[in-house]
Amino acid sequence: MLSNILETAFHLIFTLNKDLIEIISLSLKVTISALVISVIISIPFGAFLVLYRNKLQSMVILISNTLMGMPPVVLGLIIYTLVSKRGIFGFLDILYTPSAMIVAQTLLITPIVVSLTYEEIYKKYKDYYLFLNSLNLSNFSKLKTLIYECRYALITVTLTGFGRASAEVGAVMIVGGNINHFTRVMTTAIAFETSKGSIELAVALGLILILISFMITLIIKSLRKIK
Amino acid sequence: MKILPIKIENLSYTIKDSEILKNINIFSDEKKITIIAGNNGSGKTTLLKFMHGLIEDPSNSISWGSNSIREIKEQQSMVFQTPILLNRTTFENILYVAKKKKVNKKHSVNKIIEKLNLESISNTDARYLSGGEKQKVAIAMSIIGNPTIIFLDEPTSQLDPVYKNEIESIISELSKDGTKIFMTSHDISQIKRIGEEIIFLDKGEIIFNGKLLEFLDQDISNVIKNYISYG
Repeated sequence: MLSNILETAFHLIFTLNKDLIEIISLSLKVTISALVISVIISIPFGAFLVLYRNKLQSMVILISNTLMGMPPVVLGLIIYTLVSKRGIFGFLDILYTPSAMIVAQTLLITPIVVSLTYEEIYKKYKDYYLFLNSLNLSNFSKLKTLIYECRYALITVTLTGFGRASAEVGAVMIVGGNINHFTRVMTTAIAFETSKGSIELAVALGLILILISFMITLIIKSLRKIK
Repeated sequence: MKILPIKIENLSYTIKDSEILKNINIFSDEKKITIIAGNNGSGKTTLLKFMHGLIEDPSNSISWGSNSIREIKEQQSMVFQTPILLNRTTFENILYVAKKKKVNKKHSVNKIIEKLNLESISNTDARYLSGGEKQKVAIAMSIIGNPTIIFLDEPTSQLDPVYKNEIESIISELSKDGTKIFMTSHDISQIKRIGEEIIFLDKGEIIFNGKLLEFLDQDISNVIKNYISYG
């Protein structure tokens, strides 16, 4: 039975099944959009927190670390209440759209990227503190140097965020609604197809997810070597 | 811009009830190599950091000519005991400082590389340099832009005699070219070789401030006597 399932799953992949491709494309579109938004906000913000150390910064890091462990379904629920018709952002009318899923994934990975960026840049700043201050650089100039010097580590952080976002089910299920041909992504499709007994498509999507995860691990490993 | 004399008046520094520097007074008006000597924990590095503005001096005890530290910071540079280099090649490390100091970039970098015989490691990543090579690159980074004052914090303490000799020659040459050097050291033979003015610290206090020959003849303090005889 397993061999039949795998055979069908591979057939779906190698024949570039239309539904499969559609789901993968939407997943990548949502995840990459969330990642880009998150990275644009989080990397400069994480670096900024290192340079402007004060009580507020400690609190932001504490909140960020707390949010890292937040269950995605809870986050999904919060976003749902905010963007539903009666919520304060109801006027945006984005519930059950890819936009809501992007918002959910962005909010999910931003604390992770902020915290990891902060850690990496903080480590580097400790090494370069005397050197950068000796050169009498502006904080902006220090920020640019630190981000550049941490570039490989920050790519790893970004890939970690990508991995986290692409594996997410709960939040995107709640705010996206798993609507066929509209908001169905790999993880929600796997859950849905399995529940209705159509395991072949779920396995094919699972294999793609494993492949993505493997590629991310491989890239992270290579970057660690360069680092 | 006139940077001499350097005047430090009544500088004290305390961390958690521990006095690191006690009522430091320094007056120096010659472009010579000034060695800040003393045993471990005597406050040498802290004093150097104050002079370079790496530790803030709220009482404005330090002045360079008629200028404050902030005004002449651009003309200073510092070499640290453990060289701090960016994860780039030798050339790129020096170029980075050149850009920040807004000097004629590539031409100046090449000149420094040639001056310090760094051609063979010009394209080597800083991670793969030996301790001596790293320190030479750090010195190259500190002299780009022709600073008028260079601070060196025990620059040869981790080096073998060959590199030590090479770096001492570079330091002497810089001094001859008119750069004011402040260098910490607890190596008495090095102090004898290149020191001209000596400031000796003991437990955060200056117990000697004068010429090398006077320092070597000093019989006023057991600390200095022991320092010279055990060195």
